Amino acid sequence: MVDQRNVPWTLKYRPRSVDDVVDQDQAKKMFIPWIRQWISGATPPKKAALLYGPAGVGKTSLVEAVAREYGVELIEMNASDFRRKEDIERVARIAATQSGLFVRKKIILLDEVDGISGTADRGGIEAILELINVAKHPVVMTANDPWAQRLRPLREASLLVPFNRLSERHVVVALKRICDFEKVECEDKALRYIAQRSEGDLRSAINDLQNIAEGYGKVTYDIARSMLVSRDRQYSPWETLRQLFMSKYAWQARRAVTHADMDYDTLLQWINENIPVQYSDREDVWRAYEALSRADLMLGRIKHGASWDLLSYVFDMAGPGVALARRRSKFHWAKYNFPQKIAILAKTKEIREVREAVADAFSKRLLTSKKRFISEFLPFIKIIFTHNPEYAARIAASYNLTENMIRFLAGASHGKVMGYISRLRAGGELVEKGTSRVHRVEKLEERAAEERPVKRRRRSVRRRPGQRTLF
Amino acid sequence: MAPDVFELLWAEKYRPRTLREIVNQEDIVRRLEKFVVERNMPHLLFVGPPGTGKTTAAHAMAHDLYGENYRQYMLELNASDERGIDTIRTKVKEFARSRTPPDVPFKIVLLDEADNMTADAQQALRRLMEMYTVSTRFILIANFPSKIIEPIQSRCALFRFTPLKREDVVSRLKWICEREGCEYTPEGLETIFDVSEGDMRRAINVLQAAAAIGRVTPDTVYKVVGLAHPKEVREVITLALEGNFIKAREKLRNLMIDYGLSGTDVIKQIHREIFSNEIKIPEEARVLIADYAGEIQYRLVEGADDEIQLNAFIAWLSLLGRKLGLSSA
Repeated sequence: MVDQRNVPWTLKYRPRSVDDVVDQDQAKKMFIPWIRQWISGATPPKKAALLYGPAGVGKTSLVEAVAREYGVELIEMNASDFRRKEDIERVARIAATQSGLFVRKKIILLDEVDGISGTADRGGIEAILELINVAKHPVVMTANDPWAQRLRPLREASLLVPFNRLSERHVVVALKRICDFEKVECEDKALRYIAQRSEGDLRSAINDLQNIAEGYGKVTYDIARSMLVSRDRQYSPWETLRQLFMSKYAWQARRAVTHADMDYDTLLQWINENIPVQYSDREDVWRAYEALSRADLMLGRIKHGASWDLLSYVFDMAGPGVALARRRSKFHWAKYNFPQKIAILAKTKEIREVREAVADAFSKRLLTSKKRFISEFLPFIKIIFTHNPEYAARIAASYNLTENMIRFLAGASHGKVMGYISRLRAGGELVEKGTSRVHRVEKLEERAAEERPVKRRRRSVRRRPGQRTLF
Repeated sequence: MAPDVFELLWAEKYRPRTLREIVNQEDIVRRLEKFVVERNMPHLLFVGPPGTGKTTAAHAMAHDLYGENYRQYMLELNASDERGIDTIRTKVKEFARSRTPPDVPFKIVLLDEADNMTADAQQALRRLMEMYTVSTRFILIANFPSKIIEPIQSRCALFRFTPLKREDVVSRLKWICEREGCEYTPEGLETIFDVSEGDMRRAINVLQAAAAIGRVTPDTVYKVVGLAHPKEVREVITLALEGNFIKAREKLRNLMIDYGLSGTDVIKQIHREIFSNEIKIPEEARVLIADYAGEIQYRLVEGADDEIQLNAFIAWLSLLGRKLGLSSA
C-alpha cells in the first residue's frame, strides 16, 4: 500500500463517483447523457466533447469519476504528446479499435488541449481531428480557454460542456470534508478564507489546505492569512514549485514559473531552496542547480544593464531547465520550505549593521571600499582582537570604535579589551577629563604628524544614536 | 620603547605617502613622477591584481602634485560604495566647480574599483570624463582591464601593476618589523610572502596579526592564515564530496553569515583548499574542481547570486564525489 501521508490530497480525495464531483450540475446534465449514449453502443452526433472552464473546477475529475462509475477504461493523454507521431499513432490505434466481448469500452482523454501552441504544433490540432475521425470511442478534451482561433476546428467537432467557477460555499464544504477525514483541526473562518482566496479553484484550495495542515498541524485563520499571498490567478510559491516539479513537458514548467506571483529574485530563491527537497539523485540535483545557476546568471546580466529581452531565457532555465533535470529521482510529494536565505537575512540584520559600521570606521582611512575591507582586512583585525586584547584596545582607540563594534570584533575576549580600555583611560593616557573627541583626534594626528610630515584631514565619524562611544 | 597608546593598522601606518617612498613598480613610478614635474597628465587607468599599490600610487602622486593637503583637490570615489552613476555624476559636477589648486591646472577624480561598474554606467562615466576634461583628470583603478569598456581604455594612459617580487615584500616586512620592534625569524617573513602571493596589503595584514599573537615564525603565520580562513570551508568541500549536499549547504550558509564572506571570497578559499594536502582526492580531480570553481567565480563576477552559484558548485562536487567513489550512496 502506498504511504498515504505522502500523497497530495488532490489525488487522495479525487472524486470516486459522479456525485462526488462538487457542483457542476449543468455540465453533468450535458455530459452524462452523451457518454451514456456511447456506452449503450450508439455513436452520438458529436464524437468528441470539449470540457472547458477555469482551472481546478473538476473537468478532469468528472471524466475520471464517470470512467470509474461506468467501469470504462480511461486512456489519458496530455495534449502536448501530439507533437510526437508515434504517440499519436499509438492512441489512434487504440481509439480505432472496436470494443467487443473481449475489449473494454474506453474513453480517450486529452487534457489541456489549449496548451498546444499555435505555430509550433501546427500538426497537433490536425492530429486530434484525425483521431476524432477514426475513433470508435468517445474523445474527451479539456481546456481552460477554448475560444482561441486555432481551436476552432476542435470546437466545431465537439459537444461543448462549460464548467463554472465553484462557489465559495462549495469549496468550503469540500475542504471541511477533507479536514474531518484527516482529523485536522480547522477553523471555519480559515476554510472560508482559503476558499475565497482560491477564487473557485478547488485544486489550489486543497493544496493550500494541505500546505498549512502539514506545516502547522492545524488550520487557523491567522496561519492561513500569513501563508497565502494574493494569488491574482497566479501561483503562490508552493503552487509554483509543485507545478514546476510535476511538469512533464517544457511548456508546463515554463508556465509554472511565468505565472508565479513573485519577483524574479524571490522565485529563484524558492527554487534554490527546494531543489534538494524534491530531487534525491545527485546528478539530478546538479543538473537542476546548473540550470538555475544559468538562469541566475542571465538575471544578473539583465540587472547589470543587459536587455530585458533576456528574461525569457531566465524562465527557460529556471522552469524547464530545472524541471527536466529529473531523470533518476522519482517524483514524490514534498513539503517545500521557505527560502532560508530570506529568513536569515532578516535574522542577521543586526550583525550585518555592526559589520557595516566597522567597515565605515576603517575603510576610508585604509583607502578601500567597505566590501573589500570586509573580505581583506576584517579577518585579520578579528585575530588581533581575539588574541591580543591590549593591543586591540589601542587600535580601538585610534579608530573610535564603539562598544558594539568591539563586541563584534573580539567576541568572547570583548570583556578583556574593554578592561584594557578603561585601564588606559584611568591611567590618563587616553583621555584627559573634559577634552572633546575632536581635540583628542587632533592630538592623535599630531602624534602621527611627528612620525611623518603629512597631516591628515580631520574625519567626521558618523555615530548612530544610542551607541556610546568610548573615546 | 614604550608602546604607543594609539595603534594604527599597519596598512595605514606604513602606506607610502610620496612616489619616492614606493619601493617597487619602478617603471610606473618613473612615468608618474614625470607627470608631476610637467604638471600635466592624461586620464590614467591603473590595472593589476589586489595589493600591488594602485591606490597608493594614485594618492602618492596627488600628494606630490598638490602637497600635504592634496585631498582637497582630489575627489575619492569607490564604485563599490557609491550608489549608482547618478551620485557619481552629482559628486563630480560639484567637485569640478570647487576651488582649483594654485599651480596645477587640473584636479583629480580618483575612481577605485571601476571594474565594478556596469557597461552602461561606464558609458555615462566616459561622457563625464569628456565634459570636465579641461579642469579634471580621472584616475581609474581596476583589477581586470577587460571589464573596462573600450572607449574609456582608449582615452586613458594604461598602467599595468604587477604582483610584488619576493625580495621587495620581504625587505619591506623586515623594515616594518624593525620599526615596530617585533620579533621575527627570516623564515617567518618568507612564509608571509608564500601565503600572500605578491599582495602587499595582505602580507602586511598577516604580519600585523602574527605579531599580535607572538613571534613572527612560519608557525604563527600559518596559524594566522588558518584563523583568517575558516576551516569550515574545508568541511563544506568534504561534506559535498561525501554527497551530503544538505549539510554542506547549511554549513556554507552559516560560514557566509558568520564571517561576512561574499560568494567570491568563498570560491577563492575553496580554490586554495583544493590544492592543499588536507583534502584527499585524486590529483586529476583537483584540476576538474579548479576548472568549475573558475567558471562559478566568473558567473559571480558577472553579477549572479552568491548562494545559488555556490549551491550549484557544491551540487557538482557531490556528483563528482559519487563518480570518484568517495561515498557509498
